[in-house]
Amino acid sequence: MLKLRCGIAAIAFIGMSGSALAADPLAVGRQMLAEDNPGELFIDRGKALFHEKRGPNQVSLEQCDFGLGPGNIEGAATRLPRYFPDTDSVQDLESRLVTCMVRLQGFNREDVIGKAISSPRSHGSDVENVALYITSVSNGKKMNVALRHQKEYDMYKAGEYLFYRRSGQTDFGCVQCHGESGKRIRLQDLVNMTDKKQIQEVVSTWPAYRGAHDTIRTMQWRLSDCLWQMRLPDLDYASDFTIAMTTFLHYQGNGAVIKVPGFKR
Amino acid sequence: MKKTIFKWAMLSVPALVTAGCATYPDEATTRQIAEKMVITSFSTTPETAKRLAQDASQQICSKIGDAKLTEADAAEVIKLARASIKYPQSGKLVGDWKVGDKLAHDGAGDRIRDGELEKRKENGALCQNCHGLAPDEINVGNVGPSLTGYGAQRGNSEAIAKYTYEKIYNAWAYFPCSNMPRLGATGHLTQEQIAHVVAYLIDPQSPVNKK
Repeated sequence: MLKLRCGIAAIAFIGMSGSALAADPLAVGRQMLAEDNPGELFIDRGKALFHEKRGPNQVSLEQCDFGLGPGNIEGAATRLPRYFPDTDSVQDLESRLVTCMVRLQGFNREDVIGKAISSPRSHGSDVENVALYITSVSNGKKMNVALRHQKEYDMYKAGEYLFYRRSGQTDFGCVQCHGESGKRIRLQDLVNMTDKKQIQEVVSTWPAYRGAHDTIRTMQWRLSDCLWQMRLPDLDYASDFTIAMTTFLHYQGNGAVIKVPGFKR
Repeated sequence: MKKTIFKWAMLSVPALVTAGCATYPDEATTRQIAEKMVITSFSTTPETAKRLAQDASQQICSKIGDAKLTEADAAEVIKLARASIKYPQSGKLVGDWKVGDKLAHDGAGDRIRDGELEKRKENGALCQNCHGLAPDEINVGNVGPSLTGYGAQRGNSEAIAKYTYEKIYNAWAYFPCSNMPRLGATGHLTQEQIAHVVAYLIDPQSPVNKK
């Protein structure tokens, strides 16, 4: 039954992108670019960083537990965010990666977080590259985030609450721009995050190569950039706000087939 | 925690089931958890932290999911909005459409990155981000309704000028909780800036009203 429904969803989606192509001449260019995605280069960089003995402790990330046990990264990204007993918190891929870089490899947390979002036109930060590599290992697998632990339920509902929470001088919550289909900020298409299909398209394509920055970008970056435009203060990397929002979106995106790196404007 | 569960399990099986039965938190608990996140997830100064606090209208206008605004909610938001509106000292609600044109196409101002406030002489009015403007413009958003021909359709009477000024100053006076920012009431734009944007929208010479 579930399989059947996914099949219908996939057909409907192909139909939709076909008509979108006809209506939007820019989409043609975007698709051409996506077929030759420079983001692929960053996967190798992430893979090398993952296996390399690094940090004050000179160990690799191979023993990092992303939820399926130390060393098991295949499929791990499909189930994140999730609750981790050793930190007693719900973590997304990036915050978990930071935990391992600090606890296993001995890096300084502030350093890692301070460098987590790289400069435009750079080779990407360690976190960006490794997050891409780990997600890419789940390419072809379906998002399958579960709510089991109380803190996972709490994160999901907090994310939903925050999605609709308006504040600041623009009176914006997320839903003001991401609550309807077919909307744009100037020429830039906005994803409708109240539509399951569109959520699925989002959660399965980050980390992504971002053309305007000519480097790899992650969901943490995407969220902080939105909030910057909303005129809110600096959103802390890997903060609970980001985990709540990611839990809310990823859970709704369940069933989407991971295909990274995505290709964004 | 583990120890507690173990003890309960020794006592009775149903108790274990109850202890392990995680579920969605209720509305009040969700609010408490999420509001705490707002406080702990941003790097702020006392000044910038104000941007995260909600005023009474924003609280009312943050309905979750399909929850609808009640009539009482809407009335309260309209009342607060009406009370917020201030007019330029000069009394002039219609400024210079050329200045308004520039403002309408300016999407910058007052953003914060790495603790630094975007250094600008003034904030842009952000119109282009969401509204169609002059008829030949392609690089415009569509989150809000198109404003192309705004004055050509409505004229430039005093009543229209006043309505337009108030609508930009605090859109919620007319459309409670609409997506439109309360640009004057939140302090994003000054009263004089709004008067310039009014001129840009209603002046017959403005590109907005040209064919």
